[in-house]
Amino acid sequence: MNEEPTTDATDAEDDVLLAELRAAVNRIDPVPPETMAAARSSFVWHTIDAELARLAHDSVLDDQLTLTRGVVAPALLTFETPGLTVEIETISTDGGWQLHGQLVPAQPGQVEIRHPGGATSVVADDMGRFTADGLPPGPVSLRCRAGDAAVDTDWFLA
Amino acid sequence: MTVTGPVEPAVGDLVLAAREGDAEAWDALVARFAGRVRAVARSYRLSESDAEDVSQVTWLRLVSNLDRIRDPDRVGAWLVTTASHEALRIIRRAGRHGVGDDGWEEAIVSDDPAADSGMIVAERDRALWKAMGMVPAACQRLLRLLAADPPPSYEEVSAVLDMAPGSIGPTRRRCLDRLRVQLARITGGPAGSPG
Repeated sequence: MNEEPTTDATDAEDDVLLAELRAAVNRIDPVPPETMAAARSSFVWHTIDAELARLAHDSVLDDQLTLTRGVVAPALLTFETPGLTVEIETISTDGGWQLHGQLVPAQPGQVEIRHPGGATSVVADDMGRFTADGLPPGPVSLRCRAGDAAVDTDWFLA
Repeated sequence: MTVTGPVEPAVGDLVLAAREGDAEAWDALVARFAGRVRAVARSYRLSESDAEDVSQVTWLRLVSNLDRIRDPDRVGAWLVTTASHEALRIIRRAGRHGVGDDGWEEAIVSDDPAADSGMIVAERDRALWKAMGMVPAACQRLLRLLAADPPPSYEEVSAVLDMAPGSIGPTRRRCLDRLRVQLARITGGPAGSPG
């Protein structure tokens, strides 16, 4: 980096240039109004009806993946509460994605796949397995009811 | 420029109020941090739709974790760290090896015909944008983050870029120098201070 050019600019000149850049970014790449609106309206999901199952494992960030350009492997996510664990596999499809899930311990239940635009309800069978297809892009959270437990997974992207 | 006005409520107080269901406090948090969350996503050069996904999932995460945020005063660092993880996740998920190669030029410079000096402003903006595309990727990331409005704290930048807070100042100076040199190349003006 010996050839790095320097301009001997003062701190004040640095501040001016950065302020100029900030103003330019504000005009060229502002936060879109729909992004602001979505962020504001996410507050409607502020509920305390169910226990939050936190992300305990995410194959995308936690595992050493063999990256192959153009190939999207399924993602495996595990959400845990002391009483109920929810294991999820997500697979990208054309224009959407599908989900395969498993309640642990295995038991039947109801699973509501919630996304900002609505919700899809599916049934977990006696083995605790559930599946859904044609899900829209964007974040989701699963509300799982099994036995006495009501658990919401934290929000995640497929 | 000095802006005078009502004292802004402390960030931690906004978090505590939102926890109690205060939607105005929530909106105030969004107003204060939406630019930073977006800046994180864009600093990874995510596409518009990916940046939107990162923003949405980050704010939804904050909603679901409002009652569990350990240090409400540092919610900014929490938000940018969450956004950074989600952005990295999208990049890894797509099987990309790192930050995308698509340049800053992808964004369309929009003129503001309503403004008298619209054309001049737009040219200057375009030159700045183009200069951004010509500095090293690490500088682009740092500068895009620092250009968020309102700007992030060094603690927040440090959380996203995995840099020691103490090294941000010197790196900022070097990156602005690079930007200044490229800007001078584009506009044909002097790179240094006048005179």
